[in-house]
Formats: sequence, structure tokens, C-alpha cells
Amino acid sequence: MAASARSAWGLSIALALALIVSLAAAASIGVAGLSLSTVWQVVLDHLGLANAQVSTLTDAIVWEIRVPRALTAAAVGAGLAVAGVVMQALTRNPLADPYLLGLSSGASLGAVAVLLMGLGGAIALSVALPAAAFVGALLALAASLGIARAAGAIGPATVVLAGLAVSQFLAAVTSLIIFLTAQGDSYRQVLAWLLGSLAGASWTTVAVAAVAIALVLPLVVAWASRLDAFALGDTAAQALGFSVRTTRLVLFVAVSLLTGAMVSASGAIGFVGLILPHLVRGLTGGIHRRLVPAAALGGAVFLVWADTLARTIVDPRELPVGVVTAVIGVPAFILVLVRARRRSVS
Amino acid sequence: MPSLRTSLAAASALLLAACASPVDSPASLTDAQPSLAPEVASATAVAAIDNCGTHVALGTSPERIVAIKSSAAELLLALGLEERMVAAAFLDGPLEPGTGDDGTGVALLSEGLPGQEAVLGLEPDAIFAGWESNLSADGAGERDQLERLGIVTYVAPSACKGAEHQPSPMTFPLLMDHILEAGDVFGAAPQSQRLVAELEAQLSALEPDPRGLTALWYSSGSDTPYVGAGIGAPQMVMGAAGLTNIVGDVQDTWTSVSWEAVAAEDPDVIVLVDAAWNTADDKIAVLEDNPATAQLSAVRNGYYVVVPFASSEAGVRSVRAVAQIVDQLAGIAVED
Repeated sequence: MAASARSAWGLSIALALALIVSLAAAASIGVAGLSLSTVWQVVLDHLGLANAQVSTLTDAIVWEIRVPRALTAAAVGAGLAVAGVVMQALTRNPLADPYLLGLSSGASLGAVAVLLMGLGGAIALSVALPAAAFVGALLALAASLGIARAAGAIGPATVVLAGLAVSQFLAAVTSLIIFLTAQGDSYRQVLAWLLGSLAGASWTTVAVAAVAIALVLPLVVAWASRLDAFALGDTAAQALGFSVRTTRLVLFVAVSLLTGAMVSASGAIGFVGLILPHLVRGLTGGIHRRLVPAAALGGAVFLVWADTLARTIVDPRELPVGVVTAVIGVPAFILVLVRARRRSVS
Repeated sequence: MPSLRTSLAAASALLLAACASPVDSPASLTDAQPSLAPEVASATAVAAIDNCGTHVALGTSPERIVAIKSSAAELLLALGLEERMVAAAFLDGPLEPGTGDDGTGVALLSEGLPGQEAVLGLEPDAIFAGWESNLSADGAGERDQLERLGIVTYVAPSACKGAEHQPSPMTFPLLMDHILEAGDVFGAAPQSQRLVAELEAQLSALEPDPRGLTALWYSSGSDTPYVGAGIGAPQMVMGAAGLTNIVGDVQDTWTSVSWEAVAAEDPDVIVLVDAAWNTADDKIAVLEDNPATAQLSAVRNGYYVVVPFASSEAGVRSVRAVAQIVDQLAGIAVED
């Protein structure tokens, strides 16, 4: 037990170091082919540690494109992985993901409404789009929980079913809006958004994602032992002396805020929130005090690299990041799955 | 249930026969074509052509043509075929044929892509589609089904998507060939020859911009811009205007690129596609609002060239698009 606890902390420290290296690498790699020294002069210049002599365009490539994009990827990856861990614990369902309560379809509906119905001019778009996505996600959450409550309980099965209903309904409304209003090639932007992409990252998305994590992660870590208790079932958890209903409700809301912020920053990026918790659980075990920090760091490292590949391997084009997350994530997941099974057998 | 199906089949067979007989068999010509020996085919001129992989019979003169997309409708108008058009659909904006008929008498079937029944209800004998995807089950219908109903289907050859049929790259000589081919398909060969002569004269009268400027053809998108790549109509038009496409080495008609790739090339000018749903001004606002693209020299200097959305498809507008770009470039004094 002591040894495994130590190795779990060792894993988190290793992942934290990997994250720092990954962020540095992501800032250094790109299709613009800037030299390492140029990139780091710019970064140090903005940190007030050096005086860079570069063109304003070079400065913008590093400080307005690459750095916010890498930081957004890290924050979104961490947020989705933590949200996935919590959703899986609360619903005792290994298939649960952060979008379970209709959040991604609510966010998509908000974004599509802004993009296609002309609810914002071009300048307002960069603010209106994430805001609408966020509001859409929250409304979807309210609908899911409201339906679950009307059906009698905020128990895992009811909530999952309510979320499913809300998801399907909002997805249909989104399709209807696209069908009725998309003109010319405007559907293209919508599709890119629906697939999930970090190409729209800016310092605004960094702030949105980071604030959401700063608000939610401490709560999840503080309640890690409650998450452990959920695995035993509601009755057993109740016996441990906390309100199962209230805890579940508060965590659902917190995770939805987190996911809503992530979706508003990057669209619905698949895989990270569903598979990454299992991947990390295979390394740390199921105790949430160790699992949550490792999942946050692992998700951050994973998405930083997935996005770096997505924006560089078919220069100058961009791959959808969801393609990369699945192509490199699934083999890693299978490896961990098989090794974990073998260890438990022996 | 089986009896219903049988009667449906019988009814559709009747319908097929009824539709096919008056035109007398473009379908049978199509079927016969592959079995013709080459020398026979050349002896009887070309009886059918290969259009994106579908054989299209020549020698008919359709009287009830449906045009889908502006590029198709405007080519028919330029060929003086307004009288023979029953409707146009899925237009990019107001029809602007330039020469030929003005299109005021053409009915608009639908703003978006029309469905099969809407098209068949007009009893067309030919459908001219600007995009290959217009002729699908979700749109006006599958080509082989339409052919069986005696309807000639024709897709602008520049829009063929299959690897062996897609022009790579699209060029003005190919465009002229395509216009002549459309003249043959729609029974307007003399008009198409006049139109080509006119367009070729206009094109050769244009002086490409001599400064060797680099450019980006910005079509849509704000996070990952959708831009003209190396083998499509945007490349053809930019090349003829004397511009070097910074995305010209991507083997595609259009593509998505990252802003970082654009910034790395820092184009001298940006060609903005102006559409009703995404205007050139909207795109300028996106470029100026994004702190990274705001630093592009074309954005800082305001070196923009605007072309209408309908000009981004290869067609009768392409030569005019070159002229518009050349004219606007003349007003831009790029410093080195």
C-alpha cells in the first residue's frame, strides 16, 4: 500500500514534469519553422525576462497562436479527464463521459445558433460563441437534472437516461437549424466546431478554461474520499456519513460547469474524457485521491501532444484533433487494459 | 405487402416507359456507347461523353433544363438558353450572367438543394448541376435513376471529385473545353463557340499583375480558415491574375489551413470571398480581431481584394474574376 501510494505520487510528479516539457515543446514546434531561440526570446520577452528583437508577426505567431493554444489544450485536457473521472464515479458507469448530461449537444446548439442565425457580428463572435456554448451547456444540464428530479430521483440511472433524452433532442434541434439556415459554405465552420478543435484558442479561452479548473478541481480533490464511497453503492455511501444526494447534485453541477467551459473553448473533443480516466486508473488504481491529480496531468499532457500533432503532421493543413486523440489514445488504452488485466490475474 | 410492391414496380415501369419514349432514348444511346467500336464512334462524331464517370448522350437538345448552383445557371444563360430553363435552384446570389440572357425569366425552384420530387415535378429533360453532390439521393436524385427516367444529367466537369475525373489542376484552357462540352450536351454548340471566343479574347486582353505578389484566397472559417488550394478554380484565377498562392502546393481544390501556416508565409494580399452569409467585411473584422492575424502585413496595410462567392466556382465568371482582381491590385501599392 505504501509502495503503491508512493509510486502513484511518483507518477503525478513525472506527469507534472512531462507537462512542463510538453508545453515547451508545443510552443517550439509549428509549421512556421521558427528557430528555438526565436521562440524562447519571444516567450521570455513577454515574461519580462528578455528583450526580443523579432518582427511583430513572429511575436504574434508565438505569443498569440502557439502559447495560448498549448495552454488551452493543457487546460481542456485536464478538465475533460477530471470531468470524466467524476462522472464515471457518480454514475458507477465506466461508459460515462463529461458530455453525459447533454452538455456537448447543449453547447453545440448555442454555438450553432450564434454561427448560423447571425446573432453576433464577426467581432462579437469570438466572445458570443463561447458564451452561447456555455449557456447552452448549462441549460442542457438544468434540463437533464430537472427531468431526473421530476422522474423521482437524482440517482445514476435516471440521470443518465434524462441526459440521453436531452442530448438526442438538442442534437436534433441543432441539425434542424443547420438544415434550415446554413447557406453556401457556412456549414463548414459549424462542422469544424462540432468536431472539436483547438484552432480557436486565444488568451480568452486560456482564462475561461483555467478559471473553471481552479474552481472545480479543489472541490473534487477535497471530496475524493466521497467519490471512493460512491463505488460501494448509494446505501453504503450514505452509511459513511454524508448526503449522497447533495454530494451528487453539487458534483454534477461542478462538472457541468467545467465541461461547459471546456466545450465553449474548444468544441466537444472526444476520447479524452471517456478513455483517459480508464488509462490513468490502470496506472494509479481506483483511489480518487491519487487518480484525480494524475488524470488531470495525464489529460493535459495527452491533449497538448495530440493537438501539436494535429496542427503539424499535414503541414499546412489541420487535422481534426479528435482524429489524433483516438488514433494515438486507443492503442495506449488497449495496452493499459491488457496489462491491468494480466496483473490482476497473476 | 408483396402485391403492393408488385403494383408499385409495375407503376414505376410504366412511368419509366412514359418518360423515356417522347425523348426517344438518351438512355439507350448511353447504354450503346461502350459497345461501339472506336472507329464507329469517331465516324458518327462523339455520341456520348464521360462526365465524372457517367456517360452523357450528345445530340439531344433539352427543352426543360433545371440548373442547380449559380455556375450552372449562369453558363446556360450565357449560352442564350433562358427560354429552355424551367428553373434554377441553390443559387449563391443574384444571377449575373454578364453576356447572353439576363435570367429574369428563370423561376427559382428552391434556395437550398432541392429534393427529388421537387425536381421531377417540373418534368425536366435535363439537369445541369454545379456540384457532383447535387445529384445524389439527398438532392435532385442519383444520376443513374434520373437517366432511366430519360433525364440528361450533367455536372460541371471542374467539380468532378473522383481522382480520375477531377481536373488537376483546373486551367482556363480546360474551362473553355468544358464550356464547349456543355454546348454539345445542351444543344448549343454554336453559342458555346462564340462564348469561348469571347472569353478567350477577354482573358488574353488582361495583363496579369507583374509584381509577383503572394496571396491567400480566404473563403470562410475563422479559427481554421478554408482557403483556395493548388488545383481548383481559386488557383486558376489567382494564377491568371499574376498572384502566387501561398497554399498552392496543396493538391486540393480548397483546404483548411492554420493561421500559423498563413502567418509563416505572410501573403502580400488577401483575396476575400464576399458572400451574403459571410461578407468580405465580416472576414476583415475576423482578421483584425484576431491578435495573430492582425499582425499579417496584408491586414495591417489593408491590402484586400474582394471577389463574389459565385466567382469562386469555375465558370463564365472566372475571366471576370481575374479582371476584378487585376483591377483591384492596380490600386494596391505593395512596398517591398
